[in-house]
Amino acid sequence: MGNWGFVGLAYGLALVALVGYLVFLKGRLRGAGEGLAALERESGRRTR
Amino acid sequence: MLGELLRRTWAMTWKDVTVELRARERINAMLFFAALVLFIFNFALGPDRETLREVAPGLLWLAFLFTGMLGLGRSFQAERENECFEELLLTPGDRESIFFGKLAGNILFMVTAEALILPLFGILYNLDIWGLLPSLALVAFLGTVGFSAIGTLLAAMTAHLRAREVMLPLLLFPLTVPVILGSVRATEAILAGGGLTEVSHWLKLLGGFDVIFLVVCPLAFEFVLEE
Amino acid sequence: MGRGSLVARILGGAAGLLLATGLYLGLVVVPPDAVQGDVQRIMYVHVPSIVTAYIAFFVVFCTSILYLWKRDLRLDAVAVSSAEIGVVFTGITLATGMIWGKPTWGVWWTWDARLTLTAILFTIYVGYLMLRAFAEEPLAAARYGAVLAILGFLDIPLNHLAVYWWRTLHQPSSILRPGGPSVASAMLLPLAMNFAGLILLFAYFLVERVRLERIRHRTAEVRLTRGRRG
Repeated sequence: MGNWGFVGLAYGLALVALVGYLVFLKGRLRGAGEGLAALERESGRRTR
Repeated sequence: MLGELLRRTWAMTWKDVTVELRARERINAMLFFAALVLFIFNFALGPDRETLREVAPGLLWLAFLFTGMLGLGRSFQAERENECFEELLLTPGDRESIFFGKLAGNILFMVTAEALILPLFGILYNLDIWGLLPSLALVAFLGTVGFSAIGTLLAAMTAHLRAREVMLPLLLFPLTVPVILGSVRATEAILAGGGLTEVSHWLKLLGGFDVIFLVVCPLAFEFVLEE
Repeated sequence: MGRGSLVARILGGAAGLLLATGLYLGLVVVPPDAVQGDVQRIMYVHVPSIVTAYIAFFVVFCTSILYLWKRDLRLDAVAVSSAEIGVVFTGITLATGMIWGKPTWGVWWTWDARLTLTAILFTIYVGYLMLRAFAEEPLAAARYGAVLAILGFLDIPLNHLAVYWWRTLHQPSSILRPGGPSVASAMLLPLAMNFAGLILLFAYFLVERVRLERIRHRTAEVRLTRGRRG
Protein backbone atom coordinates (compact mmCIF):
# COMPACT_ATOMS: atom_id res chain seq x y z
CA MET A 1 0.00 0.00 0.00
CA GLY A 2 1.41 3.37 -0.98
CA ASN A 3 1.29 6.51 1.09
CA TRP A 4 -1.94 7.61 -0.54
CA GLY A 5 -3.44 4.23 0.23
CA PHE A 6 -2.98 4.86 3.93
CA VAL A 7 -4.29 8.39 3.61
CA GLY A 8 -7.35 7.10 1.74
CA LEU A 9 -7.91 4.39 4.33
CA ALA A 10 -7.73 6.88 7.20
CA TYR A 11 -10.00 9.46 5.61
CA GLY A 12 -12.37 6.74 4.41
CA LEU A 13 -12.67 5.17 7.84
CA ALA A 14 -13.24 8.54 9.51
CA LEU A 15 -15.91 9.40 6.96
CA VAL A 16 -17.64 6.04 7.35
CA ALA A 17 -17.61 6.44 11.15
CA LEU A 18 -19.06 9.94 11.10
CA VAL A 19 -21.67 9.31 8.41
CA GLY A 20 -22.49 5.95 10.00
CA TYR A 21 -23.06 7.61 13.35
CA LEU A 22 -25.25 10.27 11.74
CA VAL A 23 -27.40 7.63 10.00
CA PHE A 24 -27.62 5.59 13.21
CA LEU A 25 -28.62 8.70 15.18
CA LYS A 26 -31.25 9.73 12.63
CA GLY A 27 -32.65 6.21 12.58
CA ARG A 28 -32.99 6.16 16.35
CA LEU A 29 -34.57 9.62 16.29
CA ARG A 30 -37.13 8.52 13.74
CA GLY A 31 -37.92 5.33 15.63
CA ALA A 32 -38.28 7.09 18.98
CA GLY A 33 -40.34 9.92 17.45
CA GLU A 34 -42.75 7.50 15.78
CA GLY A 35 -43.07 5.47 18.96
CA LEU A 36 -43.88 8.56 20.99
CA ALA A 37 -46.38 9.84 18.43
CA ALA A 38 -48.21 6.50 18.40
CA LEU A 39 -48.24 6.40 22.17
CA GLU A 40 -49.60 9.93 22.45
CA ARG A 41 -52.33 9.28 19.87
CA GLU A 42 -53.35 6.14 21.70
CA SER A 43 -53.44 7.67 25.16
CA GLY A 44 -55.21 10.75 23.79
CA ARG A 45 -57.97 8.53 22.43
CA ARG A 46 -58.29 6.75 25.72
CA THR A 47 -58.73 9.89 27.81
CA ARG A 48 -61.43 11.21 25.50
CA MET B 1 -16.04 14.51 64.97
CA LEU B 2 -13.04 12.57 63.73
CA GLY B 3 -13.23 10.24 66.69
CA GLU B 4 -16.85 9.51 65.91
CA LEU B 5 -16.04 8.79 62.25
CA LEU B 6 -13.24 6.44 63.29
CA ARG B 7 -15.50 4.65 65.78
CA ARG B 8 -18.23 4.08 63.17
CA THR B 9 -15.71 3.03 60.54
CA TRP B 10 -14.26 0.55 62.96
CA ALA B 11 -17.73 -0.84 63.73
CA MET B 12 -18.38 -1.38 60.02
CA THR B 13 -15.02 -3.06 59.45
CA TRP B 14 -15.44 -5.20 62.55
CA LYS B 15 -18.86 -6.36 61.33
CA ASP B 16 -17.40 -7.47 57.99
CA VAL B 17 -14.40 -9.13 59.56
CA THR B 18 -16.53 -11.01 62.11
CA VAL B 19 -18.87 -12.25 59.40
CA GLU B 20 -15.85 -13.29 57.39
CA LEU B 21 -14.17 -15.07 60.30
CA ARG B 22 -17.35 -17.05 60.88
CA ALA B 23 -17.92 -18.16 57.31
CA ARG B 24 -14.41 -17.69 55.83
CA GLU B 25 -15.99 -17.81 52.37
CA ARG B 26 -14.28 -14.84 50.86
CA ILE B 27 -10.81 -15.11 52.31
CA ASN B 28 -10.57 -18.86 51.60
CA ALA B 29 -11.64 -18.32 48.01
CA MET B 30 -9.15 -15.48 47.62
CA LEU B 31 -6.20 -17.41 49.05
CA PHE B 32 -6.92 -20.52 47.03
CA PHE B 33 -7.43 -18.48 43.88
CA ALA B 34 -4.15 -16.63 44.46
CA ALA B 35 -2.22 -19.88 44.77
CA LEU B 36 -3.94 -21.23 41.69
CA VAL B 37 -3.06 -18.12 39.66
CA LEU B 38 0.63 -18.57 40.46
CA PHE B 39 0.43 -22.18 39.27
CA ILE B 40 -1.44 -21.32 36.08
CA PHE B 41 1.11 -18.64 35.13
CA ASN B 42 3.80 -21.26 35.35
CA PHE B 43 1.94 -23.55 32.93
CA ALA B 44 1.15 -20.68 30.59
CA LEU B 45 4.72 -19.41 30.38
CA GLY B 46 6.71 -22.63 30.65
CA PRO B 47 9.35 -23.51 33.20
CA ASP B 48 12.11 -21.33 31.74
CA ARG B 49 13.48 -19.45 34.74
CA GLU B 50 14.85 -16.51 32.78
CA THR B 51 11.54 -15.76 31.06
CA LEU B 52 9.70 -16.05 34.35
CA ARG B 53 12.15 -13.72 36.06
CA GLU B 54 11.66 -11.11 33.37
CA VAL B 55 7.89 -11.06 33.63
CA ALA B 56 7.83 -11.63 37.40
CA PRO B 57 6.70 -8.12 38.47
CA GLY B 58 3.78 -8.22 36.05
CA LEU B 59 2.79 -11.72 37.20
CA LEU B 60 2.96 -10.74 40.84
CA TRP B 61 0.66 -7.79 40.30
CA LEU B 62 -1.76 -9.73 38.13
CA ALA B 63 -2.05 -12.22 41.00
CA PHE B 64 -2.60 -9.35 43.48
CA LEU B 65 -5.14 -7.56 41.34
CA PHE B 66 -7.17 -10.60 40.25
CA THR B 67 -7.33 -11.80 43.82
CA GLY B 68 -8.29 -8.33 45.00
CA MET B 69 -10.96 -8.18 42.29
CA LEU B 70 -12.45 -11.42 43.59
CA GLY B 71 -12.70 -10.00 47.10
CA LEU B 72 -14.15 -6.67 45.92
CA GLY B 73 -16.85 -8.42 43.95
CA ARG B 74 -18.12 -10.01 47.14
CA SER B 75 -17.77 -6.98 49.38
CA PHE B 76 -21.43 -5.97 49.12
CA GLN B 77 -22.72 -9.48 48.51
CA ALA B 78 -24.11 -10.01 52.01
CA GLU B 79 -26.04 -6.75 51.90
CA ARG B 80 -27.43 -7.47 48.47
CA GLU B 81 -28.43 -11.09 49.11
CA ASN B 82 -30.17 -10.30 52.37
CA GLU B 83 -31.61 -7.11 50.93
CA CYS B 84 -30.30 -5.00 53.74
CA PHE B 85 -28.85 -2.14 51.72
CA GLU B 86 -31.68 -0.10 53.20
CA GLU B 87 -30.66 -1.09 56.72
CA LEU B 88 -27.12 -0.07 55.85
CA LEU B 89 -28.48 3.35 54.93
CA LEU B 90 -30.39 3.58 58.19
CA THR B 91 -27.25 3.25 60.26
CA PRO B 92 -26.76 6.53 62.09
CA GLY B 93 -23.95 8.85 61.15
CA ASP B 94 -22.26 9.78 57.93
CA ARG B 95 -22.17 7.59 54.87
CA GLU B 96 -18.42 8.16 54.82
CA SER B 97 -18.04 5.79 57.75
CA ILE B 98 -19.78 3.04 55.77
CA PHE B 99 -17.40 3.63 52.88
CA PHE B 100 -14.27 3.73 55.01
CA GLY B 101 -15.43 0.68 56.94
CA LYS B 102 -15.96 -1.33 53.78
CA LEU B 103 -12.71 -0.03 52.34
CA ALA B 104 -10.72 -0.99 55.42
CA GLY B 105 -12.19 -4.50 55.24
CA ASN B 106 -11.33 -4.81 51.56
CA ILE B 107 -7.77 -3.58 52.10
CA LEU B 108 -7.38 -6.02 54.99
CA PHE B 109 -8.52 -9.00 52.92
CA MET B 110 -6.37 -8.01 49.94
CA VAL B 111 -3.29 -7.44 52.12
CA THR B 112 -3.83 -10.84 53.77
CA ALA B 113 -3.90 -12.48 50.34
CA GLU B 114 -0.79 -10.54 49.28
CA ALA B 115 1.01 -11.68 52.43
CA LEU B 116 0.49 -15.24 51.23
CA ILE B 117 1.16 -14.61 47.54
CA LEU B 118 4.48 -12.79 48.03
CA PRO B 119 6.43 -15.56 49.83
CA LEU B 120 4.79 -18.26 47.70
CA PHE B 121 5.82 -16.30 44.63
CA GLY B 122 9.41 -16.07 45.85
CA ILE B 123 9.54 -19.81 46.45
CA LEU B 124 7.77 -20.99 43.28
CA TYR B 125 9.67 -18.68 40.94
CA ASN B 126 12.95 -18.96 42.80
CA LEU B 127 13.36 -15.23 43.34
CA ASP B 128 15.45 -13.81 46.12
CA ILE B 129 12.92 -11.36 47.52
CA TRP B 130 13.49 -11.77 51.24
CA GLY B 131 15.74 -8.75 51.76
CA LEU B 132 13.47 -6.62 49.61
CA LEU B 133 10.30 -7.38 51.54
CA PRO B 134 9.95 -3.97 53.27
CA SER B 135 10.21 -2.03 49.98
CA LEU B 136 7.90 -4.46 48.20
CA ALA B 137 5.40 -4.24 51.05
CA LEU B 138 5.37 -0.45 50.81
CA VAL B 139 4.65 -0.54 47.06
CA ALA B 140 2.03 -3.26 47.56
CA PHE B 141 0.31 -1.25 50.27
CA LEU B 142 0.20 1.99 48.26
CA GLY B 143 -1.11 0.14 45.22
CA THR B 144 -3.66 -1.80 47.25
CA VAL B 145 -5.11 1.33 48.86
CA GLY B 146 -5.71 3.07 45.52
CA PHE B 147 -7.07 -0.04 43.85
CA SER B 148 -9.41 -0.77 46.78
CA ALA B 149 -10.63 2.84 47.09
CA ILE B 150 -11.97 2.91 43.53
CA GLY B 151 -12.88 -0.78 43.77
CA THR B 152 -15.04 -0.36 46.87
CA LEU B 153 -16.97 2.48 45.26
CA LEU B 154 -17.46 0.55 42.02
CA ALA B 155 -18.44 -2.60 43.91
CA ALA B 156 -21.23 -0.65 45.64
CA MET B 157 -22.29 0.73 42.27
CA THR B 158 -22.26 -2.53 40.33
CA ALA B 159 -23.97 -4.46 43.17
CA HIS B 160 -27.31 -3.30 41.77
CA LEU B 161 -26.58 -3.98 38.12
CA ARG B 162 -27.41 -6.80 35.82
CA ALA B 163 -24.17 -8.53 34.79
CA ARG B 164 -22.37 -7.16 37.84
CA GLU B 165 -19.63 -9.79 37.72
CA VAL B 166 -18.57 -8.51 34.30
CA MET B 167 -19.08 -4.82 34.92
CA LEU B 168 -16.84 -4.52 37.98
CA PRO B 169 -13.56 -5.49 36.25
CA LEU B 170 -14.64 -3.69 33.09
CA LEU B 171 -14.89 -0.40 34.97
CA LEU B 172 -12.17 -0.98 37.55
CA PHE B 173 -9.17 -1.89 35.39
CA PRO B 174 -9.24 1.09 33.00
CA LEU B 175 -9.62 3.50 35.93
CA THR B 176 -6.73 1.98 37.86
CA VAL B 177 -4.18 2.02 35.03
CA PRO B 178 -1.99 4.52 36.93
CA VAL B 179 -1.95 2.20 39.97
CA ILE B 180 -1.17 -0.85 37.87
CA LEU B 181 1.60 0.87 35.89
CA GLY B 182 3.09 2.51 38.98
CA SER B 183 3.07 -0.64 41.10
CA VAL B 184 4.44 -2.92 38.40
CA ARG B 185 7.23 -0.54 37.38
CA ALA B 186 8.22 0.16 40.97
CA THR B 187 8.23 -3.57 41.76
CA GLU B 188 10.33 -4.20 38.65
CA ALA B 189 12.92 -1.65 39.72
CA ILE B 190 13.03 -2.98 43.27
CA LEU B 191 13.43 -6.60 42.12
CA ALA B 192 16.23 -5.44 39.83
CA GLY B 193 18.04 -4.15 42.89
CA GLY B 194 17.11 -0.48 42.78
CA GLY B 195 16.47 1.25 46.09
CA LEU B 196 13.38 3.17 47.10
CA THR B 197 14.92 6.45 45.94
CA GLU B 198 15.10 5.09 42.41
CA VAL B 199 11.34 4.55 42.37
CA SER B 200 10.41 7.63 44.34
CA HIS B 201 8.54 9.17 41.39
CA TRP B 202 6.32 6.07 41.12
CA LEU B 203 5.75 6.10 44.88
CA LYS B 204 4.70 9.73 44.63
CA LEU B 205 2.30 8.89 41.82
CA LEU B 206 0.80 6.02 43.83
CA GLY B 207 0.56 8.23 46.92
CA GLY B 208 -1.05 11.03 44.92
CA PHE B 209 -3.55 8.62 43.40
CA ASP B 210 -4.41 7.28 46.87
CA VAL B 211 -4.92 10.74 48.34
CA ILE B 212 -7.09 11.97 45.45
CA PHE B 213 -9.38 8.96 45.48
CA LEU B 214 -9.50 8.66 49.27
CA VAL B 215 -11.05 12.13 49.17
CA VAL B 216 -13.26 11.75 46.08
CA CYS B 217 -14.58 8.19 46.54
CA PRO B 218 -16.24 8.69 49.95
CA LEU B 219 -17.93 11.84 48.63
CA ALA B 220 -19.12 10.01 45.53
CA PHE B 221 -20.27 7.06 47.67
CA GLU B 222 -23.16 9.15 49.00
CA PHE B 223 -24.58 9.49 45.51
CA VAL B 224 -24.21 5.79 44.84
CA LEU B 225 -26.05 4.71 47.98
CA GLU B 226 -28.99 7.09 47.88
CA GLU B 227 -32.32 5.68 46.80
CA MET C 1 -40.21 15.78 15.42
CA GLY C 2 -39.03 14.68 11.99
CA ARG C 3 -36.26 17.12 11.22
CA GLY C 4 -33.94 18.85 13.59
CA SER C 5 -34.32 22.40 14.80
CA LEU C 6 -33.05 25.40 12.88
CA VAL C 7 -29.99 25.59 15.15
CA ALA C 8 -29.18 21.96 14.46
CA ARG C 9 -29.50 22.43 10.72
CA ILE C 10 -27.26 25.49 10.76
CA LEU C 11 -24.65 23.67 12.86
CA GLY C 12 -24.76 20.63 10.60
CA GLY C 13 -24.52 22.70 7.43
CA ALA C 14 -21.64 24.81 8.70
CA ALA C 15 -19.78 21.70 9.87
CA GLY C 16 -20.24 20.09 6.47
CA LEU C 17 -18.97 23.18 4.62
CA LEU C 18 -15.91 23.59 6.84
CA LEU C 19 -15.03 19.90 6.66
CA ALA C 20 -15.37 19.85 2.88
CA THR C 21 -13.04 22.87 2.64
CA GLY C 22 -10.61 21.34 5.12
CA LEU C 23 -10.64 18.07 3.20
CA TYR C 24 -9.92 19.83 -0.08
CA LEU C 25 -7.15 21.95 1.42
CA GLY C 26 -5.58 19.04 3.29
CA LEU C 27 -5.73 16.51 0.47
CA VAL C 28 -5.21 18.66 -2.63
CA VAL C 29 -3.89 22.16 -2.00
CA VAL C 30 -1.30 21.77 0.75
CA PRO C 31 2.00 20.17 -0.38
CA PRO C 32 3.11 16.93 1.27
CA ASP C 33 5.21 17.11 4.42
CA ALA C 34 8.96 17.38 3.79
CA VAL C 35 9.85 14.52 6.13
CA GLN C 36 6.82 12.25 6.29
CA GLY C 37 5.41 12.79 2.83
CA ASP C 38 1.72 12.35 2.10
CA VAL C 39 1.05 10.17 5.17
CA GLN C 40 1.23 13.30 7.26
CA ARG C 41 -2.13 14.33 5.78
CA ILE C 42 -3.76 11.87 8.21
CA MET C 43 -2.90 14.37 10.96
CA TYR C 44 -5.52 16.78 9.62
CA VAL C 45 -8.16 14.31 10.80
CA HIS C 46 -6.35 12.65 13.69
CA VAL C 47 -5.41 15.73 15.72
CA PRO C 48 -8.75 17.60 15.50
CA SER C 49 -10.68 14.44 16.35
CA ILE C 50 -8.77 13.76 19.59
CA VAL C 51 -9.19 17.39 20.63
CA THR C 52 -12.92 17.13 19.93
CA ALA C 53 -13.07 13.92 21.97
CA TYR C 54 -11.42 15.66 24.93
CA ILE C 55 -13.90 18.53 24.61
CA ALA C 56 -16.74 15.98 24.60
CA PHE C 57 -15.44 14.29 27.77
CA PHE C 58 -14.96 17.64 29.44
CA VAL C 59 -18.62 18.38 28.70
CA VAL C 60 -19.51 15.00 30.27
CA PHE C 61 -17.49 15.90 33.36
CA CYS C 62 -19.09 19.34 33.82
CA THR C 63 -22.67 18.23 33.18
CA SER C 64 -22.18 15.24 35.50
CA ILE C 65 -21.12 17.46 38.40
CA LEU C 66 -24.01 19.83 37.64
CA TYR C 67 -26.43 16.91 37.49
CA LEU C 68 -25.44 15.65 40.94
CA TRP C 69 -25.90 19.18 42.21
CA LYS C 70 -29.11 20.29 40.44
CA ARG C 71 -30.72 16.90 39.74
CA ASP C 72 -32.04 18.07 36.39
CA LEU C 73 -32.35 15.16 33.95
CA ARG C 74 -31.69 17.49 31.04
CA LEU C 75 -28.12 17.84 32.29
CA ASP C 76 -27.79 14.09 32.41
CA ALA C 77 -29.13 13.89 28.85
CA VAL C 78 -26.28 16.17 27.72
CA ALA C 79 -23.76 14.04 29.66
CA VAL C 80 -24.75 10.70 28.16
CA SER C 81 -25.06 12.19 24.67
CA SER C 82 -21.67 13.85 24.84
CA ALA C 83 -20.06 10.63 26.11
CA GLU C 84 -21.45 8.64 23.20
CA ILE C 85 -20.19 11.13 20.63
CA GLY C 86 -16.85 11.37 22.43
CA VAL C 87 -16.46 7.61 22.08
CA VAL C 88 -17.06 7.90 18.32
CA PHE C 89 -14.34 10.57 18.02
CA THR C 90 -11.96 8.58 20.22
CA GLY C 91 -12.54 5.59 17.96
CA ILE C 92 -11.70 7.69 14.89
CA THR C 93 -8.54 8.93 16.64
CA LEU C 94 -7.46 5.37 17.42
CA ALA C 95 -8.15 4.13 13.89
CA THR C 96 -6.38 7.01 12.14
CA GLY C 97 -3.49 6.78 14.61
CA MET C 98 -3.01 3.12 13.81
CA ILE C 99 -3.21 3.75 10.08
CA TRP C 100 -0.61 6.51 10.44
CA GLY C 101 1.57 4.19 12.50
CA LYS C 102 1.76 1.44 9.89
CA PRO C 103 3.81 3.33 7.25
CA THR C 104 5.62 5.40 9.91
CA TRP C 105 6.68 2.76 12.43
CA GLY C 106 6.02 -0.33 10.33
CA VAL C 107 3.41 -1.71 12.75
CA TRP C 108 -0.30 -1.11 13.20
CA TRP C 109 0.01 -0.85 16.92
CA THR C 110 2.78 0.30 19.18
CA TRP C 111 2.57 1.31 22.82
CA ASP C 112 3.26 4.90 21.96
CA ALA C 113 2.28 7.16 24.87
CA ARG C 114 -0.47 8.99 23.04
CA LEU C 115 -1.98 5.94 21.39
CA THR C 116 -1.97 4.15 24.75
CA LEU C 117 -3.67 7.08 26.47
CA THR C 118 -6.31 7.25 23.77
CA ALA C 119 -6.97 3.53 24.18
CA ILE C 120 -7.37 3.94 27.96
CA LEU C 121 -9.74 6.85 27.41
CA PHE C 122 -11.73 4.71 24.99
CA THR C 123 -12.10 1.85 27.48
CA ILE C 124 -13.16 4.17 30.31
CA TYR C 125 -15.96 5.78 28.32
CA VAL C 126 -17.13 2.57 26.66
CA GLY C 127 -17.41 1.28 30.24
CA TYR C 128 -19.45 4.38 31.07
CA LEU C 129 -21.91 3.66 28.26
CA MET C 130 -22.15 -0.01 29.28
CA LEU C 131 -22.74 0.91 32.93
CA ARG C 132 -25.65 3.09 31.90
CA ALA C 133 -27.06 0.39 29.65
CA PHE C 134 -26.97 -2.15 32.49
CA ALA C 135 -28.55 0.05 35.18
CA GLU C 136 -32.09 -1.04 35.93
CA GLU C 137 -33.73 2.34 36.44
CA PRO C 138 -33.04 5.69 34.75
CA LEU C 139 -32.32 7.69 37.90
CA ALA C 140 -29.74 5.13 39.07
CA ALA C 141 -28.17 5.17 35.60
CA ALA C 142 -27.87 8.95 35.80
CA ARG C 143 -26.29 8.92 39.28
CA TYR C 144 -23.89 6.05 38.58
CA GLY C 145 -22.97 7.58 35.24
CA ALA C 146 -22.25 10.95 36.82
CA VAL C 147 -20.03 9.39 39.50
CA LEU C 148 -18.12 7.34 36.94
CA ALA C 149 -17.68 10.35 34.65
CA ILE C 150 -16.14 12.34 37.49
CA LEU C 151 -13.77 9.50 38.44
CA GLY C 152 -12.84 8.98 34.79
CA PHE C 153 -12.02 12.59 34.17
CA LEU C 154 -9.93 12.94 37.35
CA ASP C 155 -8.08 9.85 36.21
CA ILE C 156 -6.90 11.46 32.96
CA PRO C 157 -3.99 13.55 34.35
CA LEU C 158 -2.78 10.59 36.43
CA ASN C 159 -2.93 8.37 33.37
CA HIS C 160 -0.91 10.93 31.43
CA LEU C 161 1.79 11.01 34.07
CA ALA C 162 1.97 7.24 34.42
CA VAL C 163 2.00 6.46 30.71
CA TYR C 164 4.58 9.14 29.87
CA TRP C 165 6.93 7.95 32.59
CA TRP C 166 6.44 4.38 31.50
CA ARG C 167 7.21 5.06 27.86
CA THR C 168 9.94 7.64 28.25
CA LEU C 169 11.90 5.57 30.76
CA HIS C 170 12.22 2.80 28.21
CA GLN C 171 12.59 4.58 24.90
CA PRO C 172 12.46 8.11 23.64
CA SER C 173 8.78 8.87 23.30
CA SER C 174 7.60 9.05 19.75
CA ILE C 175 4.99 11.71 19.67
CA LEU C 176 2.52 12.23 16.91
CA ARG C 177 3.02 15.78 15.84
CA PRO C 178 1.88 17.39 12.65
CA GLY C 179 5.13 17.65 10.73
CA GLY C 180 7.39 17.62 13.75
CA PRO C 181 8.13 20.65 15.88
CA SER C 182 7.82 23.20 13.10
CA VAL C 183 4.34 23.29 11.65
CA ALA C 184 4.45 24.99 8.28
CA SER C 185 1.97 27.81 8.01
CA ALA C 186 0.38 26.20 4.95
CA MET C 187 -0.53 23.23 7.11
CA LEU C 188 -2.24 25.35 9.72
CA LEU C 189 -5.15 26.26 7.46
CA PRO C 190 -6.56 22.76 6.76
CA LEU C 191 -5.88 21.88 10.39
CA ALA C 192 -7.84 24.90 11.62
CA MET C 193 -10.66 24.19 9.16
CA ASN C 194 -11.01 20.62 10.36
CA PHE C 195 -10.77 21.72 13.99
CA ALA C 196 -13.68 24.10 13.52
CA GLY C 197 -15.55 21.63 11.36
CA LEU C 198 -15.30 18.72 13.78
CA ILE C 199 -16.18 20.86 16.79
CA LEU C 200 -19.27 22.14 14.97
CA LEU C 201 -20.09 18.59 13.92
CA PHE C 202 -19.81 17.57 17.57
CA ALA C 203 -22.20 20.38 18.51
CA TYR C 204 -24.61 19.25 15.79
CA PHE C 205 -24.48 15.61 16.92
CA LEU C 206 -24.93 16.75 20.52
CA VAL C 207 -28.06 18.80 19.78
CA GLU C 208 -29.59 15.89 17.86
CA ARG C 209 -28.56 13.25 20.41
CA VAL C 210 -30.00 15.32 23.26
CA ARG C 211 -33.23 15.60 21.28
CA LEU C 212 -33.33 11.80 21.12
CA GLU C 213 -32.88 11.64 24.88
CA ARG C 214 -35.74 14.14 25.34
CA ILE C 215 -38.06 12.02 23.17
CA ARG C 216 -37.15 8.99 25.27
CA HIS C 217 -37.87 10.83 28.53
CA ARG C 218 -41.19 12.01 27.11
CA THR C 219 -42.08 8.46 26.03
CA ALA C 220 -41.30 7.15 29.49
CA GLU C 221 -43.50 9.88 31.02
CA VAL C 222 -46.45 9.11 28.74
CA ARG C 223 -46.09 5.40 29.51
CA LEU C 224 -46.06 6.15 33.22
CA THR C 225 -49.19 8.33 33.22
CA ARG C 226 -50.99 5.83 31.01
CA GLY C 227 -50.00 3.01 33.33
CA ARG C 228 -51.37 4.95 36.27
CA ARG C 229 -54.73 5.57 34.53
CA GLY C 230 -55.12 2.09 33.12
